[in-house]
Amino acid sequence: MTEKENKRSISRRKFLKTSTLVVAGSAIAYGAVSVPLLRKDRLLLRPPGALDEDIFLASCIKCGQCLQVCPPQVIKLAGISQGFGIGTPYIIPRAGGCILCSGLPCVLACPTGALAHELSLGKDAEMGLAVISHPDTCLSIRGVNDLVYRLENLQKKKTSSPDQTELKDILASLIKRLTDDEKKAWQNRFSLLEISDKTLLTILTQLKNSDLKWIINFAGSSSQAQKACQICLEECPIKDEKTIVFVTRTHPDTGQDYLWPSVRKTCVGCGVCEEKCPTPVASVTITPRLEWSEKQAGNQTRKNKKT
Amino acid sequence: MKNRPDKKNKKQEKVKTFKGAGLRSQNIPQPGHSQHKWRNIRWAILLFFNFLFFASFFFDIQILEGSLSGSRLLGFHLIDPLAAFQVILSSKIIMVNLIIGVATIALIYLMFGGRSFCAWICPYHWLAELGEKIHQILKKKKIIKSHTFDRKIRYYLYGFFIILALITGYTVFETINPVAIISRFIVYGPSLMLLWAMALLVSEILYSRRAWCRYFCPVSVSYQLMGLISPLRIKWDKKNCSNCKRCQSVCLVPHVLTDSINLGKSEYVNASDCTRCGLCVDICDDEALSYGVKYLDNLI
Repeated sequence: MTEKENKRSISRRKFLKTSTLVVAGSAIAYGAVSVPLLRKDRLLLRPPGALDEDIFLASCIKCGQCLQVCPPQVIKLAGISQGFGIGTPYIIPRAGGCILCSGLPCVLACPTGALAHELSLGKDAEMGLAVISHPDTCLSIRGVNDLVYRLENLQKKKTSSPDQTELKDILASLIKRLTDDEKKAWQNRFSLLEISDKTLLTILTQLKNSDLKWIINFAGSSSQAQKACQICLEECPIKDEKTIVFVTRTHPDTGQDYLWPSVRKTCVGCGVCEEKCPTPVASVTITPRLEWSEKQAGNQTRKNKKT
Repeated sequence: MKNRPDKKNKKQEKVKTFKGAGLRSQNIPQPGHSQHKWRNIRWAILLFFNFLFFASFFFDIQILEGSLSGSRLLGFHLIDPLAAFQVILSSKIIMVNLIIGVATIALIYLMFGGRSFCAWICPYHWLAELGEKIHQILKKKKIIKSHTFDRKIRYYLYGFFIILALITGYTVFETINPVAIISRFIVYGPSLMLLWAMALLVSEILYSRRAWCRYFCPVSVSYQLMGLISPLRIKWDKKNCSNCKRCQSVCLVPHVLTDSINLGKSEYVNASDCTRCGLCVDICDDEALSYGVKYLDNLI
């Protein structure tokens, strides 16, 4: 009897052991395969040269070497919340777009060819496509100058002294657009010998909130600064050809003219435009792995009619 | 120093009681380290290399870039064989860099003893070693019981994940690989997957001594293959051995010592599982165990 019981308890123990193992093993396998599959439809923006998503996920070894060599350090490694492909590299364009630096070090660093080594020039990359996803907020469509917009936002904050980094950014782009006559007006106002990036710092230290109003008025009346926002085009790393063309269109209801930023075929989807877009929610966003076609340009027009 | 001969006598007495008392683990005396020479050297090297991974990125010194699944030592590719195997099978593309990386790794570990990767480089092994200490304390106080599994599970898992990579077209194991997760944590900062690695560590502290490294880790299987031929082995001097079996009590894979020492088969620990960690060398008071190079020792 005792022997029988003993045998039975051993077999029971064995059964428990194997069954827990099987359950745990299958749970792991199931979790590893199914959980990420649920989120597969949400594509991530991959670094330049990335193969098609399926084959990219298969060949990425998750070593993170692309991240290490990235000069602007915009590549991040996906965690569990990014779903499929834990440890694979991706870019959040709003936090920092790919600048398509020369030589594409991320592609060279990739040991597995998940970032295809055939790619040698940034302008040949096919990461995705910029899409005007929020035409209602787009400053170009609304005919608003970006500098005035940003300055007004600064003024609204009502702090004792304006945000230095933001203001420096604004002034730097304003000064670039000034004509000689307008530069003189600045020199008189702040009693400086010349206006350049160096003297910008001295202006910054002098500035108070009351001066903001003068700058806003100035920016509003200046001939160059008066133009509507074109930041997405100005910041685009592809300089040889225009990636965004500002097309004049007429609003069907009001009959007013406005500028529509039309994304061209040369766009590679690097995400710099989304990063630099001055509106609170980026008006232009990157759709990863989207290919350019005339039809999409048509879609954009239709979207626009609603506004 | 005065106490030492007394101590040794005592130990010899102890040894006498254990001599021939049985071959298997129930008679193994509890470990009590007399020195930590090799462990200290090993930990220093392990922490140094993992710091080098971290520093290469954080301080941008670019010596050892990447993580344990794939890296570059001064520009030379190093790639974990299991990860490379999975990538080739899932993507069905053979990349030259992968072959070069695996060949370099194979060359290094053929020289330095196969699973020495586990004991001398792997950061999970280090955490598990600390966890093992907690496990032993808890076990001594009879708070927990230790359980064992079949050692062959590692091989089954290796095959399972290789086939899974081939079928799903995705490197499934790499998403749950605790070694890679911890290595990425060291270099690139924490991610949520770290919780999985920690859960694994806690469960092996509470349930089974060194469970992941001993029974489950498929990463070590490829290094074990290199350990099969690697000449760097633990040398066993039969004349000095008093058969106290304290070496087995500290060993990660005790069967490697039972096979060669109890059966007296060879002068070397020949089992490919041996991680060459040196814990047995440290604990041996008889100077019966040391590091040796299998074919070279005889020539000299």
